Amino acid sequence: MFDCLRKLKNSRYPLSRIMIGGLFVVSGFEKLVGPYQNFLYVIQNYSFLPFFLGEIAARLLPWSEFFLGIFLVLGLWTKWTLRAVMALLLMFMGVVIQALIRQLPITECGCFGGLISFPLPVILALDTTVFVFAWFLSFRMEEAERCSLDRYLARNESA
Amino acid sequence: MSQQPKIKVTLLIIAFSLAVVYGVKFFLGIMPQNTLSSGQTRAKGDKGAAIQITEFIDLECPACARGAEYLGRIMAEHPAEIRLELKYFPLPSHRHGFLAARYAECAARQGKFWPFHDALIARQPNWSRLTDATPAFALIAKEILLDPGRLEVCLNDKSVDALIQESHLEGERRGVKSTPTYYVNGKMVVGLQSLEPELVRLLAEIKK
Repeated sequence: MFDCLRKLKNSRYPLSRIMIGGLFVVSGFEKLVGPYQNFLYVIQNYSFLPFFLGEIAARLLPWSEFFLGIFLVLGLWTKWTLRAVMALLLMFMGVVIQALIRQLPITECGCFGGLISFPLPVILALDTTVFVFAWFLSFRMEEAERCSLDRYLARNESA
Repeated sequence: MSQQPKIKVTLLIIAFSLAVVYGVKFFLGIMPQNTLSSGQTRAKGDKGAAIQITEFIDLECPACARGAEYLGRIMAEHPAEIRLELKYFPLPSHRHGFLAARYAECAARQGKFWPFHDALIARQPNWSRLTDATPAFALIAKEILLDPGRLEVCLNDKSVDALIQESHLEGERRGVKSTPTYYVNGKMVVGLQSLEPELVRLLAEIKK
């Protein structure tokens, strides 16, 4: 399967898929290996969820990011994973925008746990860029699914 | 076309990923976590109190200041039920955090940690905006009658920095990423929004 990456002449679509997936894997993994309370604190700073929903989000969201990222990297259920990732990105953008409008005193987004942090305008720009990439990918599924488990399993199934 | 192989592969990947995540968490969990001896911490309240709180604090952190005000009120209302220990966790993003910790520790070595801490917290909005907070800290030291000679020696004592750094390292080993992080009877609670309901719950349990 990794041979296909070397042979590809036009690899930017699967590479974009893998890079977007990698971003989500790192983001989710960093939150998962630490105490969930750290991410709960980040969510609470954005002041948009009641306490109990914040708890649920703090426990579930990192797993969602992590698995969606893995599936995207491997190219598994690619079409649906891409849509889920785009929905997540829209949600993140909405949360950041409301924080900026309300001028909440958040200096670090908390997006990658404690690994690295960006101010809110930077993270909004990053989320928007990734969303646009993902959106373009969704129109080029044929190329995006190169070097993917979806393609590999489909080929094996038909063989 | 049958989806069974794909579903099997999906479940396999999920299982493997779960194993990786929990494996890493387990590995991190068994890393040695040295704790500071109680002589190194700054504590107030009854040693036998039912609610034991350890707080990792950055003295320049506004959220820590709000937490300190809340804890001050709640401990005044329930003096026998709560014990609070502070450990230093200055954040790199706060330029005066380490210096504030240094002054606080030097005040502690003259038995005046809490007066210094309370004054720092009350005036935080002022000194945190300064380019150089040293005069503000020196003024507080003067007001609470710290011995200036001993203070000067202490501020140059490398063991003070070592203590603050060790405290910070301990916090990192425990997974502390931001301040205020509290350990309420051993349970990690980050921020005032999570601390309040936890304390309310515990105090209600004590009353039963």
